[in-house]
Amino acid sequence: MSARRQGWVLAVYTAFVFAFLFVPVLMVVLFSFNKTASFTFPFHGWSLQWYRSVFSSPDYRSAIFASLKVALLTVAIVTVIGTLAAIAVTRYATRGRETLRSILLVPAALPGLFLGIALLSLFIRTKTDLSLGTAAVGHVIYTLPYFFLVASSRLLRFDPMLEESARDLGASSFTTFRKVTLPIIAPALIAGALVVFSLSWDEVLITFFTIGSQNTLPLLIYSKVKQASDPSINAISTLLLTGSLVFIVGVRKFVADLQT
Amino acid sequence: MLRLTSPALLVLGLALLIPILLLLVQSFVVSLGYGQLQYSFTLSNYAEALKDPVNRSIAIRTFSIAAVTASACIILGYPASFFITFRLRRAKNLALFLVVVSLFTSYLVRLYAWYTVLGRDGLINTALKTLHLIDRPISFLLFSKWAVLIAFVNVFLPFTILILASSMQSIPADLLENSRDLGASAVQSFTKVVLPLTTPGLVAAFAYTFVLTSGDYTTPALLGGKQSTTLASIVRDQFVTFGNQPGGAALSFLMVLVFAAVYVAVSQTRRYKGV
Repeated sequence: MSARRQGWVLAVYTAFVFAFLFVPVLMVVLFSFNKTASFTFPFHGWSLQWYRSVFSSPDYRSAIFASLKVALLTVAIVTVIGTLAAIAVTRYATRGRETLRSILLVPAALPGLFLGIALLSLFIRTKTDLSLGTAAVGHVIYTLPYFFLVASSRLLRFDPMLEESARDLGASSFTTFRKVTLPIIAPALIAGALVVFSLSWDEVLITFFTIGSQNTLPLLIYSKVKQASDPSINAISTLLLTGSLVFIVGVRKFVADLQT
Repeated sequence: MLRLTSPALLVLGLALLIPILLLLVQSFVVSLGYGQLQYSFTLSNYAEALKDPVNRSIAIRTFSIAAVTASACIILGYPASFFITFRLRRAKNLALFLVVVSLFTSYLVRLYAWYTVLGRDGLINTALKTLHLIDRPISFLLFSKWAVLIAFVNVFLPFTILILASSMQSIPADLLENSRDLGASAVQSFTKVVLPLTTPGLVAAFAYTFVLTSGDYTTPALLGGKQSTTLASIVRDQFVTFGNQPGGAALSFLMVLVFAAVYVAVSQTRRYKGV
């Protein structure tokens, strides 16, 4: 096969892969605007009624608030402990560095199911009532590795001499952190926080075991899909997609800032 | 150093290590059903989990779906990553960005999206009907192991592409040119340069997909038929429906043993490749 032919075959193959990734999701977006209650073809014309039914539904509203609470709590905790851990591992650890790194990355290597049942056992044995708070504990464990990766990749790439100079000029270690380190790594921390938010916003496997009687948005969608009769799923899905798109564009902006 | 990591380590200790140890202890005690435990040591939870012929056939199904998913992700993702990394110039960042968009697209939405493609009146059935290839909609598309497989590949393909693309990006471009200049054919420079240098990424992507698909219960629950129980759904039912935590715990540790074996195998290939 000539190089040119090869290039074409690869291009078509890649286009197919992208179609496979995006066509189903685009179908959901299309049918979220469908005039009739049919989930699928034929498409009957445009309407916003499913969006109206999402916004007027108390179920969706309380699920959205529950998801927001869990995600914001998770982001707050992970940003603090993850930043400290990333600084420690990239700046100060000499001997234990690899071990610490591995420990911090462990949760990402375990399936959500396992984290979920382990936490549920803890909550049962300690007689802790399940709530949005216990769900947030699960989300903290699950998202910490990803935040750590984003934050430490930035810390690894900036010159420690900047911090040393500040210290030489008489700044305390806290002032150095506040005036030198933090401004430099801030975009990475924001990008990390956005990643954490979107992971938490979307989590099902761990949440199922740790939340108790309340529903987050993904859990509500899960139960609606299982009943498979509610066209408003298309609309709420499209809203979720728009949300994650906004987040990713945000992350990309901060990551682009990082690279300059 | 320890002072700074201590909050994170404290959280991991309290909410990861202790729960896992607790789970381990529970896997060795007697279940009285409905969440009641009797704290006397037994190996029967493990023995039962291993003896049960149903578990065994479900384990085979779970791990084979996971292995097929991971392989399919590589088969689809490898050429695509290759094209994105080595053939695209200006569109490269856009293509990678689209992959990231797909990665961060809600997991549930991506599962649900297959209803609109594979369902009774979905894209495929409608297309086939319009082309007069079928009279009645094909019903086995959705709620089958094929639907589960397709959805799994859809969910994990972006991961695979990103891992592979990043391992390809670390190959210096002149290395490829040099190999061509020294007379290697396109195929040779691929098998002698690109493939060995991307093997660690490939193996890592495979292991990651394998582990996460074997531990998933939502995809089979939403897209699988009656025959689509997986190990993860058994564990979940043991915990939630039957309150048999020791049984579920034992089964989940057996799963983790398999995962550990996979990870060890991965680190071995890395060492072997000298990376």
